[in-house]
Amino acid sequence: MDKNEYKKIIKYKSPKENKLKNIIISFFVGGLCGVIGQLLTDVFNKCLHFSINDSYMLTMVSFVLIGSILTGLGFFDKVVSFSKCGLIVPTTGFAHAMTSAAMDTRNEGLVKGIGSGIFKLTGSIILYGIVAAFFISLIKVIVG
Amino acid sequence: MKNIKFNNVYINNHFTLLSSKANNPSILNDVDMSIEDYFLNKKTFEEGEVEYQTLVTRGLLDKENKKPEDIDLLIGGDLQNQLFASNYNACKYEMPFLGVFSACSSFIEGIIIGASLIGKNKCRNAMVVTSSNNLVSEKQFRFPVEYGALRKKVNSFSASGAVSAIISNKKSNIMIESANIGKVIDMGHTDTNDMGACMAPAVAETLYDHLKSTGRDINYYDVILTGDLGIYGIEYLKEYLNRKYKLKSNRIVDAGVMLYNVNKDSDFAGGSGPICVPLILFTKIIKKYKKILVLGSGSLHSCMSTNLKKPMVGVSHAVSLEVIK
Repeated sequence: MDKNEYKKIIKYKSPKENKLKNIIISFFVGGLCGVIGQLLTDVFNKCLHFSINDSYMLTMVSFVLIGSILTGLGFFDKVVSFSKCGLIVPTTGFAHAMTSAAMDTRNEGLVKGIGSGIFKLTGSIILYGIVAAFFISLIKVIVG
Repeated sequence: MKNIKFNNVYINNHFTLLSSKANNPSILNDVDMSIEDYFLNKKTFEEGEVEYQTLVTRGLLDKENKKPEDIDLLIGGDLQNQLFASNYNACKYEMPFLGVFSACSSFIEGIIIGASLIGKNKCRNAMVVTSSNNLVSEKQFRFPVEYGALRKKVNSFSASGAVSAIISNKKSNIMIESANIGKVIDMGHTDTNDMGACMAPAVAETLYDHLKSTGRDINYYDVILTGDLGIYGIEYLKEYLNRKYKLKSNRIVDAGVMLYNVNKDSDFAGGSGPICVPLILFTKIIKKYKKILVLGSGSLHSCMSTNLKKPMVGVSHAVSLEVIK
């Protein structure tokens, strides 16, 4: 039997994931995150009188903080498994990935453990985020 | 590969420890020890796995009324990097030690090595110990434990626990009849979620080699126990056997599926880890059947091989057992 024939067996015999269900859950959970984010921004902007840009930033920071605390408390993994990408794509996912990696490596020491392990999953987001930001700024400087 | 025949090699005793949550209750009643704890008073779950091994090693020594000096050879295997759990368990006793890595077929590999040495009278007895810890496997092969990564239906759940067995030429009711050492098979499979698909061809090839080298029919055995192919892996195996070798059998059962009683509605494919095969073998299979073929299977991938975009390769070893009643 060659490799292609075996691939066909796997394709035909392996289970189909319920994509529609996952998409619907992610859509509503992600949407709920958006609603909460908007409410937070309004609170920061209208009640606490921050500028609109500062309010956006504070909302982001709040999401990271809440995500990290929930991960640290130990039940966010179950919520994420249920809500799929609904909580991974928003910035809570970034916080969650960072905190969970840090918790995993905590026992290996502060330097070789947490220090190098905390960005195990999120390191590439930061690196390529900065690279992308650099090039977009460059284009903006040249064009604008 | 030719069949290795053993004369007068027996499995004398065994000790099973299961620690995963969500167990199949009928298995919980049959294990020697069951604890729902990943740490066992240690700071890390890596060290917790060492404790699993210690519990089953000591448990078996007590069960057999033996001292560590009475054991000629300790063979250990687990999934941690460089066999952390086995090495640190072995350093607690004065027993000559061999570490084996063959992923989830480590136990069968250990049995084959031990039985070969005993058969040639190079040692009197050997103890085989394997362990796995769900959290260790998650951290090492998948994502951080608290990350709760999205899982597919084909994903298996690493079982936690440890199993030990002692083999010697002292007569007992489980005889190790013969064995076949498997070849490493690459079918170009790359999805690390689906380890069953990587191991199924290896199991099929070893099964065929075994039947060919012994001249037996597939129905010679009362049961053929595979390691941790999972509920879909079994399907791939049956299809592969049927298409390539025209072999059909309804006596093939999978230890990973039995351990968690999964069906096609479950959201995972079954248990995995080096303890699946021995645990199900000792708690369920040897009580029911007489002629048993055990096919341990291992997916020999690592994080490195996956990052280098290499296909996953699988291996499977066969041991034929006869239960004398």
